[in-house]
Amino acid sequence: MALAYSLPSNLAPSTVQNTASFLRIIALAFISGAAIASRLFAVINFESVIHEFDPWFNYRATKVLASQGFYEFWNWFDPTAWYPLGRVVGGTIYPGLMATSGVIYNILHALNLPVDIRNVCVLLAPGFSALTAWATYMFTKELKDESAGLLAAAFIGIVPGYISRSVAGSYDNEAIAIFLLMFTFYSWIKALKTGSAFFGTIAALFYFYMVAAWGGYAFITNMIPLHALVLILMGRFSSRLYVAYSSWYAIGTLASMQVPFVGFQPVRTSEHMAALGVFGLLQIVSFAYLVKAHVSSKQFQTLLFVSVVTIGILGTLGIVGLTYKGYIAPWTGRFYSLWDTGYAKKYIPIIASVSEHQPTAWPSFFMDLQFLVFLFPVGVVLCFRELRDEHVFVIIYALVGTYFAGVMVRLMLTLTPCVCVAAAVALSTLLDTYIDPRMPDTTDTPAPDTDRVSVAGATTSEGTPKKTKKDKTPAAEVTQKASINDFATGFEVLGSILEKDKPPRVAGLDSRIVVVGVALYLLVFFVQHCTWVTSYAYSSPSVVLASRNQDGSQHIIDDFREAYYWLRQNTREDAVVMSWWDYGYQISGMADRPTLVDNNTWNNTHIATVGKAMSSTEEVAYPILRKHDVEYVLIIFGGLMGYSGDDINKFLWMVRIAQGVWPDEIQEPNYFTPAGEYRVDAQASQTMKDCLMYKMSYYRFSNLFGGSTPVDRVRNQHLPTTGPTLDYLEEAFTSENWLVRIYQVKKEDSLGRDLKSANAFVEGKKRKRAKPPVRRKAIVASS
Amino acid sequence: MLWTSFLALLLLPLTLVSATLEAERNQLVKLAAAGNGVIKLDESTFNLLTHPKRTWSAAIQFTAMDKRRKCSPCKEFNPAWDTVAKAWTKAPTEHRNTHFFATIDFDNAQSVFQKLNLMSAPVVSVYPAAEGSRKLASGKTDPSKYDFSNGFDPAPLAEQLSHHTPIPIPYRAPINWGKVASTILSAAALLLFARFCKPVLTGRLIWVIMTVVPSLAFMGGLMFVQIRGSPWEMQNGQWLAQGHSNQYGKEVQMVAIIYGSLASAFLALVLVTPYVSPARQRVQIYTLILIIAFIYSSLLSLFRFKNRGYPFKMFFS
Repeated sequence: MALAYSLPSNLAPSTVQNTASFLRIIALAFISGAAIASRLFAVINFESVIHEFDPWFNYRATKVLASQGFYEFWNWFDPTAWYPLGRVVGGTIYPGLMATSGVIYNILHALNLPVDIRNVCVLLAPGFSALTAWATYMFTKELKDESAGLLAAAFIGIVPGYISRSVAGSYDNEAIAIFLLMFTFYSWIKALKTGSAFFGTIAALFYFYMVAAWGGYAFITNMIPLHALVLILMGRFSSRLYVAYSSWYAIGTLASMQVPFVGFQPVRTSEHMAALGVFGLLQIVSFAYLVKAHVSSKQFQTLLFVSVVTIGILGTLGIVGLTYKGYIAPWTGRFYSLWDTGYAKKYIPIIASVSEHQPTAWPSFFMDLQFLVFLFPVGVVLCFRELRDEHVFVIIYALVGTYFAGVMVRLMLTLTPCVCVAAAVALSTLLDTYIDPRMPDTTDTPAPDTDRVSVAGATTSEGTPKKTKKDKTPAAEVTQKASINDFATGFEVLGSILEKDKPPRVAGLDSRIVVVGVALYLLVFFVQHCTWVTSYAYSSPSVVLASRNQDGSQHIIDDFREAYYWLRQNTREDAVVMSWWDYGYQISGMADRPTLVDNNTWNNTHIATVGKAMSSTEEVAYPILRKHDVEYVLIIFGGLMGYSGDDINKFLWMVRIAQGVWPDEIQEPNYFTPAGEYRVDAQASQTMKDCLMYKMSYYRFSNLFGGSTPVDRVRNQHLPTTGPTLDYLEEAFTSENWLVRIYQVKKEDSLGRDLKSANAFVEGKKRKRAKPPVRRKAIVASS
Repeated sequence: MLWTSFLALLLLPLTLVSATLEAERNQLVKLAAAGNGVIKLDESTFNLLTHPKRTWSAAIQFTAMDKRRKCSPCKEFNPAWDTVAKAWTKAPTEHRNTHFFATIDFDNAQSVFQKLNLMSAPVVSVYPAAEGSRKLASGKTDPSKYDFSNGFDPAPLAEQLSHHTPIPIPYRAPINWGKVASTILSAAALLLFARFCKPVLTGRLIWVIMTVVPSLAFMGGLMFVQIRGSPWEMQNGQWLAQGHSNQYGKEVQMVAIIYGSLASAFLALVLVTPYVSPARQRVQIYTLILIIAFIYSSLLSLFRFKNRGYPFKMFFS
């Protein structure tokens, strides 16, 4: 056999094998290093700080766990959140993340390494990304081979779709969940391949860990049953499948019920019914197979078939009936909105309002996956060529994953591992084919070649496949048959591309070099892309902002922490702070003050109350504030600095959520100009100008401009030169760049006047005869 | 005797007012019945309907149906309005006559539009009852505007307006027979197809297509377009939307085709090229590589258009 280039021939096979496995270990080590290093941009550019919103709560909970121990953490009731309701933290969180950090922290301290708990939390996500790379390697190895595994590990290590949720400081459930997801899938595949209850149990244990760590565990809960169901429908039922699924389901479900937040959901909610249903189906099918193997009577088999189908239908009806009767809860809104995509906007605006719940436009896919996005379909098609049980899994995952990622930006995260795996399979097949030095045999008859060429021709001319020489004789016999058979033959010819009958061989060194060179170019480009995206888009802590000075140096904007520390230093410890729910976790984490609402959006009415206070006039809002003991109101205002994520831009959601509870009092159209625009300048509607949020945002804003027209830099609108006035609140603090503004709620006037007339008196204005009565009664009735 | 008649005399204006109101209500009921549930208003009947002492509530559609006004949303919304109003005629009489649906057209009552300072149409205002038992607890008598954020469909309209009617509007979404029929037909077609094309269905190719094509469409942003209801393209033929997180319908198609052709080129490199004769191989490889380079480069320039800050490019920017 001719070789395109020579290989050293004096090496023993064992030497080659040993070197290969050594190199693999080295490669995995480097991949882990790259995965960790590329996530440290945030720490290097800024500092070791917890990012964003949810991580602040996780961090706070971890601190409680580390300082007071697990039992205290488990029983923790937090009276400062959701004031005055409080929150039972132990029973309403997924404790996996905090427990993991707690264990790491304790191990490090046992080794006399006095690491601060904050650093454990900040660096947890990068550390786990290295583990994810390893789990992806193991998973892909089961699909193809080690080299594909290494490529997959490298992809998942640096792909922006995963980095976006796991940079240093992004201390969120997803940080560890993707590793758990991949490892559970790996052990499921392994269990399925070997039919071993051991690996089924491993899958169940990691499933339990996943349930304890992330609400997205429902993805596994439905993926594995779906895979099992498809295998059954394909006629691939086997005892391996039975053992793997039964051990995973039984142990996994029992284990998951130990998490207090999950409790009895696995037997009482629709999200989990697919797993239960497939479990039952497997029992029936395996029973049928068992009986079939032992009984030969034809009638008995018919009877068996009928009874199996009847039991199946009865079981399904039973589940449907229980759902109808209310014993099984229907799909929760969060999951339901994935199917009926208009549902959330109509009924649960609070879910629709979150930016990571928006649908994904195509640039996000390309940004997060770059060239993997078109290698991924190649890998899926190649999975069809092999089509072992584990390939079926990847195919289902690909279809389901792309759908979910399209519906919600956030779920790009669950798609990413599948894309990495499939793309790695594709690229590794390509490289295998073009690096393999064996040339095609010159003694090969050209006949099969023309066969292949005609196949290639058939690919381009859809539907009207050219007949090959071989096909012509049998085809002539069946010409009288309907053309539909022609169509079917065409499909068969096309499909035969997917059946590999002889080994692929490439001739010539130049074409090899071109193809491998292009592949290398794509890989290098990918690395550059990932580095740029990570440093540019995904490494901002959002607690600390950065801008560029005129000379190009970095300017740090630290208004958030400035304001939170002001609260911590200058207010009483039990002073209740009201803000929109986005900032609840940060206030309790950094300022350590009670909040009305926070990012754990469990109580819609409470959030709507805050929304109502923000979107009503001062007179209406004041009793609400006083009744909730609010002493300070915190808002985010970006108009001076051009920070577009501020409260005025989020304001319509506050209005909408409030409108959902008080449709008579708050109406969204009132906040628009008659022409239907959302404006804040002189043309803004009166309701808008009178509402508390507007007043607090632009209070004294015009003073900054010294008589010239004030400009809001986010909305690019010119404001009136005389700004709004406040009677019931007073400005307490405004941060350096006016990003955070804090107002103090005034106490009732000691002379019993309403604060508006009290203010007017102080300013020396004459009391008007017809003063507007404070409409307390109406508010009492409505709240 | 004298006193009682004096009292009656005192009460006379009151009873007169209520009597006239009752007459007015009867007039409105007649008008509503005549218009299939919708009162067609002009200026005087508008003032009658929104009488400051009204004991009824009213939902009024401000519209401009005349062709000259070129108000296409008005035409789009009007059927929904009529449907919901018609549904209200099925409510029991004692409730039906305490809430009215009405339509006022710009060309019949320009002065009303001017008085209310209405610049755009359609607008739906709900006037709560100002007197009597149906007066709001908060004492509010000003009209409130209906929020069109749920679209122009009758179902959300009926649901939202039901907050203002004495009993929920007995609206039921009509069964879409066309949809039912097409579902049944397509199911039958599918079964027929399965019957005759068993080799196709058990072959792999159909499943490849059924998996890969939807995946490509989803990655092209199909769900974004579905959920946001983005247009197919702009009227001036502009089909690329500005901005990183925005897109039009045509982009789904274009991007899916680009991804698809890149994937097919790679597939050909893996599945076709290694099996043909050496001479053909070389031609195929160079052609495919050129195709890949060209398409990838165009994809990058598309992405650079969407994401202005993106620093990388290949052949053309």
